[in-house]
Amino acid sequence: MFRFIGRRLLVAIPTLFLVVTAAFFMMRAAPGSPFDMDRKLSPEIERNVMAKYGMDKPLGEQYVNYLKDAVRGDFGPSLKYRDKSVLQILGENYKVSLILGLSAITLAALIGVSLGVIAALRQNGTMDYVTMGIAILGVCIPTFVTAPLLVLVFASKLGWLPTAGWNNGALPNLILPITVLALPQIAIISRLTRAGMIEVLRSNYVRTARAKGLPEHRIVSRHALRAAILPLVSYLGPACAGLLTGSLVVEKIFNLPGLGKFFVISALQRDYTVVMGMVIFYAALILILNLIADLLYAMLDPRVKLA
Amino acid sequence: MRRSTIVTLRTAGRAARNLLLLACAAVLTSCGGGPSRPDCPAGKVCLQYGNASEPATLDPHKATGTWEYRILADSLMGLTQDSADGGTVPGMAASWETSADGKTWVFHLIDATWSDGAPVTADDFVFSFRRILDPKTAAEYASLLYFMKGAQAVNEGKAPVESLGARALGPRTLEIQLEHPAPYLPELAKHQTMFPVPKHMVEKYGDAWSQPGRFVGNGAYTVVEWKLGDHVKAVKNPRFYAADTVCVDEIYYYPTNDAISAERRVKRGELDVNTDIQSNRISFLRKELPGYVRTHTYLGVAYMAFNTNVPALKDKRVRQALTMAIDRDFITRKLLRGGQEPAFTFVPPGVANYSPATPPPWAAWPLAKRQAEARRLLAEAGYGPNHPLKIEIKHRNTPDPMLFMPAVQADWREIGVDVSLAQNETQIAYAAYRSRDFEVADAAWIADYNDPMSFLYLQNSSTGSQNYGDYKNPAFDALLLKADNEPDAAVRAGYLAKAESIMLNDATVAPVFFYINKNLVNPKVTGWVDNLVDHHPTRLLCVKGKGAPAPAG
Repeated sequence: MFRFIGRRLLVAIPTLFLVVTAAFFMMRAAPGSPFDMDRKLSPEIERNVMAKYGMDKPLGEQYVNYLKDAVRGDFGPSLKYRDKSVLQILGENYKVSLILGLSAITLAALIGVSLGVIAALRQNGTMDYVTMGIAILGVCIPTFVTAPLLVLVFASKLGWLPTAGWNNGALPNLILPITVLALPQIAIISRLTRAGMIEVLRSNYVRTARAKGLPEHRIVSRHALRAAILPLVSYLGPACAGLLTGSLVVEKIFNLPGLGKFFVISALQRDYTVVMGMVIFYAALILILNLIADLLYAMLDPRVKLA
Repeated sequence: MRRSTIVTLRTAGRAARNLLLLACAAVLTSCGGGPSRPDCPAGKVCLQYGNASEPATLDPHKATGTWEYRILADSLMGLTQDSADGGTVPGMAASWETSADGKTWVFHLIDATWSDGAPVTADDFVFSFRRILDPKTAAEYASLLYFMKGAQAVNEGKAPVESLGARALGPRTLEIQLEHPAPYLPELAKHQTMFPVPKHMVEKYGDAWSQPGRFVGNGAYTVVEWKLGDHVKAVKNPRFYAADTVCVDEIYYYPTNDAISAERRVKRGELDVNTDIQSNRISFLRKELPGYVRTHTYLGVAYMAFNTNVPALKDKRVRQALTMAIDRDFITRKLLRGGQEPAFTFVPPGVANYSPATPPPWAAWPLAKRQAEARRLLAEAGYGPNHPLKIEIKHRNTPDPMLFMPAVQADWREIGVDVSLAQNETQIAYAAYRSRDFEVADAAWIADYNDPMSFLYLQNSSTGSQNYGDYKNPAFDALLLKADNEPDAAVRAGYLAKAESIMLNDATVAPVFFYINKNLVNPKVTGWVDNLVDHHPTRLLCVKGKGAPAPAG
């Protein structure tokens, strides 16, 4: 297994390199520069600014310099947030996204799997239709609709929860954003679980287990579920990465200091260094989470061999 | 292995269930209270301030945004400062004299200290002016100080910073020499580019001096905390020269990018102020939250720029026809509905140091008459039903242009022009305007300081890429130059007004409407005066019911 992990980590290096290269040149190919604003800079001032950030050099040289610095763990200063370095932005904001993302995915997994199992056991029953109907809604309604709706009901009308704000991570401030993030995930997870479960419940080994007279709850929890959640495991890797890097919509509506907005806004503002930092962070996260998913696969399914 | 996995899963499940129960309990106990606000120490006045955007920096020499200005103007003070109505009153300088030719100014500083106790000296100001103009600082707004003698050469690296025309005649006497008379200097002296920075701290920490914890200022507040994306916190500076008149003790500035979300927070009492309102919500909010909506004409104009390099638009008659055919009343009253004023001039009403230019005569005509005249002008220029004028409007995809560009299109179709619209991301649109890759552009300009020159210079032929339409009229340029060399403010205002009239008659830009500033302010906040420049120093604000000290002089 360690050989497997080692090899996967080795393969990750060229992958990351390719991602960094593509992102670097695509970003620079986009029209505009980080120093564009309503007031056009005079050529002299533009030269001063470019020189300060090493952007007066040829693109190839900038690329090599960037790689050199990045390998040493220096992702440079933000070109827009001039008092902050890329690492500072990541460091100050990842915690918020981590708390929100992990809570949301845990909540979604617990509820989603339970709902999926229930629906599968009562296939084509009322329970099945109700849960899957709700799940369809959960997938279809985007967060920018659910978030204001929930705020309207629970904050503006009922006054139980704050409408927005981080407030040092106080629990009432977290409930709505976590719920909004978890809802679509619950929907997807429950559908994945249901589909997997239905398939497994019809398989030969479950029939064997039943024939042996095992109690139903043991068949479900010990034999069927493990195989049924395999597709879920491969889904959860990228889903986790998505949630852990934050959500622009949720952060904007709830005014939260997460990472998501830096992803989008830095690209719009051509904040090259921040975009690169975010891309590397996201790519690394995806690689690691996929690796974990593969390891889990082997743990859950004896047919999978790591080599 | 398999059994242990399941056991682990079960334990995890149990733990999660317990956690959920705990969370529910915590929610039940913590909910149902008042609005969620950070703790405010007993007996203190705390202001929750929706500041629209995240500051990029707390260094005044690098800052460019209004949201940065709001924080900086609370914690630093220039030679002059804002009064509640946005006027300019003495700040760090108690008084000043100007030489007869208007090119030498001597400022007499008050006895003030930095928040660490060091005295604020004339030397601090000289150091600051040199720093912002030093090419190494790479200050984007350095050109605002080019009126100082030798400033441009210093900023371009052609002369040492010591050659700048600013020197300390004594610890509290500052002399500034100018390239040309600048009656708007007191106006500009309250802009962040002319804020002093503490020399002793910058020499010690370099660019990192403005990090909270080190930040030392001479304003009413000191920045003590900056959580990126969350808030900036500033507390009252007990060493501020007029500290006894300051009512609010602590300010939290939030980057409220989403105006609708901020609106809910204001309504709920989580925020006391938000510095933006989505335009189409204004009429609703006036009813929903009486007394909260505060608007005023702003120092900005939305206009259409005609590219004079395009053959059809070289013809002044065509530009005039297009300009007069825009139904500005419909756009402002029916579409934008926020209280924006229709614009028939380029400089907004109420700008300082100005005697407004007379709008073109057709401004007062009814629309039908304007349309008839526009058709006549187009026919004269050789366009008609058999040979219609075809043009494309390039515009930004931000909410306002998306709303009113179709109206402009319809107005121009009404006079027989075949108009197409091309929408672009803001950055891409401006990049295209700068490279003259457009026929008609939708543009907007918010002035940096309160003076007609900060609008009119855009149309100067030497302005370069920002003169989108490549407007060239020697008479206009000559009047601007004359104004620049005129020490008498009233005479200067006359030159500028004349220049604007020439430009309006040439119709290389079609002003559409003047911007408004839009604030949502809880009525319990007192001392807030709507004004043209949209400056509202927190030191002049208070919260009703709190023992307010005597207002600042």
